[in-house]
Amino acid sequence: MNEKKSIPKLPLKLIRWICRESYLEELEGDMEERFYDNVERYNLQKARSIYYLDTIKLLRPALLKRAGGDIHLNQYGMFKHHLLISLRSFLRYKGTFLINLIGLSSGLAAVLFIYLWIHDEMHINRFTEPDSQRHVQVIHSYPTSGTMYTNEEGFTPNPLYSKLPELFPEIDYSFPVKNHSSYKGVLSANNQHQRVTYQFAGKGYFKVFPGNFIHGDKFSILEDKKVVAISRQMAFALFNSTEKAMGQLVELKDEAFGGSYIVAGVFNPTNTSDQFDILFSYERFKDLDYMQWYNGGTQAHLVLKEGVDLEEFNAKIKHFMTRVYKNSKDLLYAQPYQDRYLHGKYAMGVPVGGRISYVKLFSVIAIFVLIIACINYMNFSTAKATRRIKEIGIKKTIGARRLNLVYQYFGESMLLALLSLLIALIMVFSFLPQFNYITGKTLSLFPNQQVVIAFLCITLVTGLISGIYPALHLSAFKPVEALKGKLQLNANGLLVRKSLVIFQFAISAILIVSVIVIYKQVEFIQTKNLGYEKDHIITFPKEGRLQADLEPFLTELRKIPGIEKASHMYGDLPGRISFSHGYKWEGMEEADKKLRFYRIKGGHDLVDLLGIKLKEGRKFSREYATDKDAIILNQTAVDMIGLDNPVGKKIGSFNPNFPDKEIIGVIENFHFQSLQEKVKPFFFSLSDMGNHFLIKVRAGEESQTIEKVKALYEQFNEGYPFEFRFLDDNYQAIYAAEKRITVLSRYFATIAIAISLLGLLALTSFSIEGRNKEIAIRKILGSNSSQLIKLLSRDFLLLVLTGILLAIPISYLLMRSWLDEFAYRIDLKPTYFIVGGVLMVLIAWITIFSQTVKSANINVSESLRTND
Amino acid sequence: MKKNRLGEFQELILMTVIVLQQDAYGNEIQRELEERLNERLSVGAIQTALKRMEEKGFLTSEWGESTQKRGGKRKRIYAATPYAHEVLNHMKNIRNQLWLAMPNPGTT
Repeated sequence: MNEKKSIPKLPLKLIRWICRESYLEELEGDMEERFYDNVERYNLQKARSIYYLDTIKLLRPALLKRAGGDIHLNQYGMFKHHLLISLRSFLRYKGTFLINLIGLSSGLAAVLFIYLWIHDEMHINRFTEPDSQRHVQVIHSYPTSGTMYTNEEGFTPNPLYSKLPELFPEIDYSFPVKNHSSYKGVLSANNQHQRVTYQFAGKGYFKVFPGNFIHGDKFSILEDKKVVAISRQMAFALFNSTEKAMGQLVELKDEAFGGSYIVAGVFNPTNTSDQFDILFSYERFKDLDYMQWYNGGTQAHLVLKEGVDLEEFNAKIKHFMTRVYKNSKDLLYAQPYQDRYLHGKYAMGVPVGGRISYVKLFSVIAIFVLIIACINYMNFSTAKATRRIKEIGIKKTIGARRLNLVYQYFGESMLLALLSLLIALIMVFSFLPQFNYITGKTLSLFPNQQVVIAFLCITLVTGLISGIYPALHLSAFKPVEALKGKLQLNANGLLVRKSLVIFQFAISAILIVSVIVIYKQVEFIQTKNLGYEKDHIITFPKEGRLQADLEPFLTELRKIPGIEKASHMYGDLPGRISFSHGYKWEGMEEADKKLRFYRIKGGHDLVDLLGIKLKEGRKFSREYATDKDAIILNQTAVDMIGLDNPVGKKIGSFNPNFPDKEIIGVIENFHFQSLQEKVKPFFFSLSDMGNHFLIKVRAGEESQTIEKVKALYEQFNEGYPFEFRFLDDNYQAIYAAEKRITVLSRYFATIAIAISLLGLLALTSFSIEGRNKEIAIRKILGSNSSQLIKLLSRDFLLLVLTGILLAIPISYLLMRSWLDEFAYRIDLKPTYFIVGGVLMVLIAWITIFSQTVKSANINVSESLRTND
Repeated sequence: MKKNRLGEFQELILMTVIVLQQDAYGNEIQRELEERLNERLSVGAIQTALKRMEEKGFLTSEWGESTQKRGGKRKRIYAATPYAHEVLNHMKNIRNQLWLAMPNPGTT
């Protein structure tokens, strides 16, 4: 037998490794037998070499292991079996199945909604034109009132765009864009009049912006001052067709850019944050002679050369403005245009976030909602494992490996996730119009392939997360214990389940508290005393003949009975208020030259009309002719310049054309900007050059009065459509984002909480089911219902309470950082957390109670008689 | 017939299996064939043919006895199916007919 040792080991190993397992015994036997035959026939040496040779010749496809394992043949059968078992268990335990399905599908629906929203946000302003990837925009920041102010719309000194390429070889080319969104001119043709917003663009614009032209050559428009492109809507409004509009003459009424133009193009507005109705060549803007360094408002767009390092480039241009003004502290920053939409907030001249924070916020919410839904699934499948213990035991006994069971449970969770996806898609499809309404978007269910793939991935991940714990937990049961029914749900599993419930309720509580705080803050913004009255005031632009006929028009207006006051102002409340610096006053320091004053120029009645309270001095009066050079300061301005008795003092200017202004009064601060801004130094002055009318209408008579104003307007100002807004609407519009967040967060929090409660409901009912006998015996021994309910509820309430306690510090931190964005904000009162916590406990308790009360009232004999 | 045609080598092995009856396991088949063909064959060649034919339904197999020489591993005994007999007969007939149809049998 010592010959046996001489069988070469290596080939044998190879055979074992590479040949099909079911053939191994036969093959090995044959090889071995043949080896000894050969030893007898030839000699050991030759037998060995034949053995080697034969081994190599064994490597034939028919004898090799199949890819994916020897049991491959069975896999389909197993898959069918898993599917069958899953479907059967769905049918058998309809309650569990339904709760899982509802939980997962509503969770998925919420996540899909959020995904669609985020997907859309991420794709705004991402163009695929040849040079879009190299497209950057220059952001200009400058010091004012002690801080660094950044113009978020990207306004830069007008000559900047043309100067930069001369000095920096990194720049391939540059072009200017001037967006006139604040003011609308009137475009006329065919006796139709439409208000339009306009944009001026320089050559190069269409190398990075798509333009979406339906008709016309987009490039030629930017070269000719006399031609324009109009939007599809305008073409339809004026000419009833996009085709007919081409080559037509249109008339624009506007102070600066009025005149006749030929329509040389029609475009479809793109998915860009700059919306406009009419596009001019920038050459037209240059006609105005605004191309000095002290004039601003033009965006400087640059296209960098291939391979330019943005960071290095930014370091170079950062202090460029010192070349224009020697001591300039202005900062420039080149930001990729694609990033501007999501990263549109700046601090010290560099981007520090913006809408990206909402994207992040909702991503986190989506993940939370999904996890909550997955936790439900995990908890049910492990809590109800007893139902499957026998199955697992038998499977293991007949040879299922642990991996098979893991596959089975993953398969089951995947199946459920896919079913949920179907239902979620139906939900998303049905609620998409409402969602679009809330978010102000036009989303569709399947905008492109990427979304479809993402949906499938989200579903897959849901299935995986849901399945991972059950798969690992259930597959670990020992078969003997499982079959004997001796298996106790081990303490470990129970602990995991408990922590999952705590986690769920912690998230739910965070969401409740957040919703309360967000709601309170938005309510605070809407009801806060702004220092002026914004209700019942309508505003519309002052243009056309009304510029000249200001006083007659105002006089006629005041005759309308429903009108309390009528006036006009330059700018628009809130927010669009101009500012300037370079003022001088008694006792000022050199640095104070930079201090910025916001100002509203307008009519005599403006202060009264806005209901602003006077602190000292007097308001404007027609009796004093000198009031044309008078100003009324707000309290912040008085504090800033530090005058003790401001009334009667004068404020001058470094501009020699600017006469000294006498301070005739001081008003209380009012919020002429959004509440995210602190009240800035401000003054009122008189002027006829307002661009908006403000009319205070008597409450309750709005519609009749507005009709009369409209008639009067049309009589005075033919050819201009009468378009008015309530001042209150302006105010609402600047909080649109916050309002959307409020509404959305409320919905998503509700979904998350509902899913958590669904889980709690099922878990309680299940845990009580197992204690029916105990309850019956307790009842016999004299427990009453309320004692029993207390006993049964205690465990779960404890979990919920722990969750809430965990949630309080987290939600406090979260909400504090959110509120930090507002200059005027509510304090985080303990009541919000108490209310949130109590609310959470209450609904959790009701949920638990609904189950416990049922079992506390069971029929004792019934329960004890049955033997299950 | 077309689908399950036997290769020449497969046909030889199939016939050997029938000849060997109860002894038809891998090594015995190999020994027998090596003797008749007077050339050395590899285990792989034999086994591949056997597995292929089993898959196609020409052969069935079951475990047989184990010997010490095989290190205690069992033999796998092959047996031809009726279908295999049918196919063999059919091929023999075709051959016979072709032999008869040849103009000068025996000369090449």
